[in-house]
This record gives sequence, structure tokens and C-alpha cells, in this order.
Amino acid sequence: MEWWIWPLALFAVSFAIGVVAVLAGIGGGVLFVPIVSGFFPFHLDFVRAAGLLLALTGALSAGPALLRGGLASVRLALPLGLVGSVTSVVGALVGLALPTDAVQVALGATILAIAAVMWRAGKADNPVPRPADALGSALRMHGIYHDPALRQDVRWHAQRTPGGIVAFAGIGMLAGMFGLGAGWANVPVLNLLMGLPLKLSVGTSGFLLSVIDTSAVWIYLNRGAVLPMLVVPSIVGVMLGAKIGARLLGLAPAAIVRRIVLTLLLIAGARALLKGVGI
Amino acid sequence: MAPRGDESMAPREQQIYARWLQAGTRIGLGLLVTTFTIYALALLEPLVSHQRLAELWTLPVDRYIAATSGPTGWNWLRFLGKGDYLNFVGIALLSLVTVACYARLLAALLRDGLPLQAAVAALQIAVLLAAALY
Repeated sequence: MEWWIWPLALFAVSFAIGVVAVLAGIGGGVLFVPIVSGFFPFHLDFVRAAGLLLALTGALSAGPALLRGGLASVRLALPLGLVGSVTSVVGALVGLALPTDAVQVALGATILAIAAVMWRAGKADNPVPRPADALGSALRMHGIYHDPALRQDVRWHAQRTPGGIVAFAGIGMLAGMFGLGAGWANVPVLNLLMGLPLKLSVGTSGFLLSVIDTSAVWIYLNRGAVLPMLVVPSIVGVMLGAKIGARLLGLAPAAIVRRIVLTLLLIAGARALLKGVGI
Repeated sequence: MAPRGDESMAPREQQIYARWLQAGTRIGLGLLVTTFTIYALALLEPLVSHQRLAELWTLPVDRYIAATSGPTGWNWLRFLGKGDYLNFVGIALLSLVTVACYARLLAALLRDGLPLQAAVAALQIAVLLAAALY
């Protein structure tokens, strides 16, 4: 087979992932890594690095608008990003040290678990306010943003900050080990555990990805696991797909998109699991 | 309360961070697309030819590096004359944007009298630099 067919196919698949990811409100990395590692010939080491760079680039691109609009908060992200980036480095080092089959099995199990979490997880647009905790107050993890849909300013403050920090330690570990990005986990932790409004949670999740994934990317980059022939078509494909997805956002039925994503995750997770055990 | 423009809600240090992030990301992405065009069109000879790359991308990274005598760490800087490693300029820049933004953020936090947040930002810079230099 001609070499150029694979980058072209990668571009096409990444484009489709970009469309679906925006429609489903998830990061592309969680679909990209299991699908590409399961159905393309590239080694998992290179796919994980590409997945991280994909998530990183998307987060960097979206960051300025989110930060300016107050829909992402730097003060909120500071301690969570610090913990997540430390553990993402550990995760990347562990992931590169473990045998590929073991990582592949763990990836499959993680993807299936993510599908279950996405299936079961609820969300709260504006969670019931509880008192701010001492650590969150000391770190000034509070603020205000304007919600155009509600036509009002929304005040927020972090709750259960120590629990949130512990959760982000785990999220960083998974992000570094599997190259998944981590929007699927960031948002529930920020929204449901730390009691932050959904819009702020989504925006800050994107910003956190740019911090957490940067640390892990360096580990893969320094090991030589970054192949531009995989990385660039993937990034361009997902970014173009995301633009189309954003245009379709008002038209696509959310329930069907959600089912498509869950099905993709189940297939990709099962494929990763089977590949890991040599089937 | 009257609706406000986008700029009014975010703290000052966040506005500064957004400016730096936007500039760095635009430059990084521009470089990435430009250098990849050079590489894909073989305008500059790569260290690993496209055909050989397709034979080797199935290998784990350690075996790939051994098979190609490719660089690890920051040694890619010595291969900038090769089409494939020229791409690392944009990739590295995108991976350094957050460090630069945090450095600017640190200065803004110190100026605004937020020492605790500044300490966290300083630790974050240390972690990112440690990862970059590991």
C-alpha cells in the first residue's frame, strides 16, 4: 500500500472525529486514541503522542476566547492544573515504560469505563450552592461571568477543593498514560464534585487541558514519539471537523449524537482490549 | 445588572494570559502548517523517507529511534535541515506557549499582590520546564 494513503485516511477519520466531538461536547482525544490505535497500523506510542498534541492544540486554540469571556478561570485552574500536570508526567513515563499490550488492555478498559461514566453521569447547569471551603477561599477560587443565555451575571465559588485536587491527580495520570486529553473527566469533576456552573466547568476544562497535556507532551517529544506525519494531519483534520461540527450544532439531535459517541467508544474500547490480549 | 461585553468579567491577569496565548498559538500553528507542507511535498529531504516511515511506524518508539538513528531530547535542533524534524519547531513552540503564558501570569499575579497564586504559578512553570528538559 502507498505510504500516503494512511495520512490521508488519518485526516479523514480525524475530520469525522472533530465533527462528532463538537456535537457531543467532548474532546477529540478520547475518540482519537482508541480508534486510531485500534484500526491504523501506527504503534500506540506514536498515537498517544498525537492524541495529546491534538487535545493540546484544540485547547490552546479555544483558550483565548474562553478566558476573555470569563468562561474559563485561571485562578480556578491554577492548583488543579499543577497537580494534573505533575501526574500527567508520571502517567506518560509509566505508559512508555509498560509493555504495549498491557497499556493497550488498560486503554481498552479505560475507554469502556469512560463510556459507562458518560452513559450514567448527570450534569447540573447551576449546582446547588454550598459554602466555599477553606482551601478554595485561600486560593481565591471564585469569580463571576456573564451568561448571555440567562442574560445575567453568574457568581461562582469552588467547593470541595481538596477532593477536586485528588480527582485531578487521577485525571492527569490517565491523560499522560493514554494520551486521551481529559475533558470527559474534567467537566464532571468541576461541575458535580466542585459545584461549579456547567459553562464554567466546560470552559475551564479546556483551559486545564492546555496545562496538563503540555507536561505529558514533552515526555513523548523528548522520547522521539512525535511523528509529524501522524500529528499534523490529525490536528488539521480535527480542527476543520470541529468547525463543521460547530455549524451543525443547532441541527444535530443531541440524543442521536450521544448514542453515536457511546457506540464508537464501545467499539474502540473493545477493539483496544482485544488487540491488547492478542485477538 | 446590565449585560457586559466579553472583556469585563475576567480578572486582569486572565486577560493578559489570553493575549499571550492567542499570539503564541497562532504563530505555532502557522509554523506547523508551513513546515509540514515543506515536509509532505518533500521540498526538504527528511531524515526518514516517507516510504521508510511507513515501514517503521508500527515499531515501539525505542526501536524506531534505534532503526532511524533519530534524535531524542532536544537533539532534534541539530536536524532542522531535515524536512521531518523541521516540523518540531512548530510543535515545540505550541508546547512552550503555556510556559510563556505562565511566566507572564506570574509577573501579573505578583504585581497584583496575589503571592499564593503566584507561588502556584511558579511551581507550574518549574514542572513544565522539568518535563521539557527531562
